[in-house]
Amino acid sequence: MKMSKKIITSLKKGGVNFYLSVPCKLLANMIEILEKDDEVYYSAVPREEEGMGICAGAYLGDKLPCIMMQNTGIGNSVNAIVSLLQLYQLPVVFLISYRGTPGEQVGAQGGMAKITEDILHTLKIPMLHCSSENDLNKITTFTEHAKIIESPVAILCDFDLMKDDE
Amino acid sequence: MNRFDLLEKLQESLKDKLVICNIGLPSQELYQINDQPNYFYMLGSMGLSSSIGLGLALSQNKEVVSIDGDGSVLMNMNTLATIGNRAPNNYTLLIIDNGSYGSTGDQKTFTNEATSLKEVAIGSGCKKVIECNGEDTSKRLDQAIEDKNNSYVIISRINSGNVSVKPIPIHPISIRDRFRKYIGLVPYL
Repeated sequence: MKMSKKIITSLKKGGVNFYLSVPCKLLANMIEILEKDDEVYYSAVPREEEGMGICAGAYLGDKLPCIMMQNTGIGNSVNAIVSLLQLYQLPVVFLISYRGTPGEQVGAQGGMAKITEDILHTLKIPMLHCSSENDLNKITTFTEHAKIIESPVAILCDFDLMKDDE
Repeated sequence: MNRFDLLEKLQESLKDKLVICNIGLPSQELYQINDQPNYFYMLGSMGLSSSIGLGLALSQNKEVVSIDGDGSVLMNMNTLATIGNRAPNNYTLLIIDNGSYGSTGDQKTFTNEATSLKEVAIGSGCKKVIECNGEDTSKRLDQAIEDKNNSYVIISRINSGNVSVKPIPIHPISIRDRFRKYIGLVPYL
């Protein structure tokens, strides 16, 4: 739970008070923490693209939203990111479990892993790539940055960092 | 009754409500009928009107009405499951079901054939689901908004057909900022 606790604490410190998730086993502990947290809103959603819409509305309502998902979810959401979040400059934090990175046992996850950062580069979305516990120290500032530049930002958490977080 | 006629008739019901309006002709028609700062016009992301409205309703207490279309709901049908499980009482989804993709040349949607959005909404867990004709819609919408103990999905079945309108001449950031200013939560706006 150590990494998951640190991630959620850092996001909250950065102002995130509205959370959605499309589940991943690497996000399971964070979801458990959020389900018990009365200070913030949390819900599961069926699909990432839909979650982008809900997050957009939450920001209009003066929340700072975060959607937690696998990197595959970026593929499901490209149009919503460009023609909603970026068009209207709506900050949303993407907390992404980076499936298909070293340590991954499911070979099929490798395909999206190979193109995830290219997609984010193409979309001009600032990225924080977390490979070690130390990297997590940057999450709070990075989250505040999203609000200041009025843009979605992406935090990528490597498979190896999260896999033993029990 | 077509969508333009219906949107005209709804103006009194939508007064002072936070309105999220579907991309394309619905927003362009609404703009032409009666542009207001409490109207958020979608310029992209087809399918997400219901979702944007839901996020807004979950984040503050004012009444929210998402104006959506049958084609757009069919594109994001999981939204009805999320609404059925999570919609707060200040949220109303108004689906204008004209059985066609109006903005792209009135191609027919599946609500013309075997699909009932009413049945999908009920099956998704939405408790107050109303299907009505265009004439009854403003009355039904007023009742839904007045009921502070329930969230509603209203499916207004009307004829297809569009009127000639122009693209919305407001910059997206202006749409965002005047809408947020209207909500009144952001001190610097």
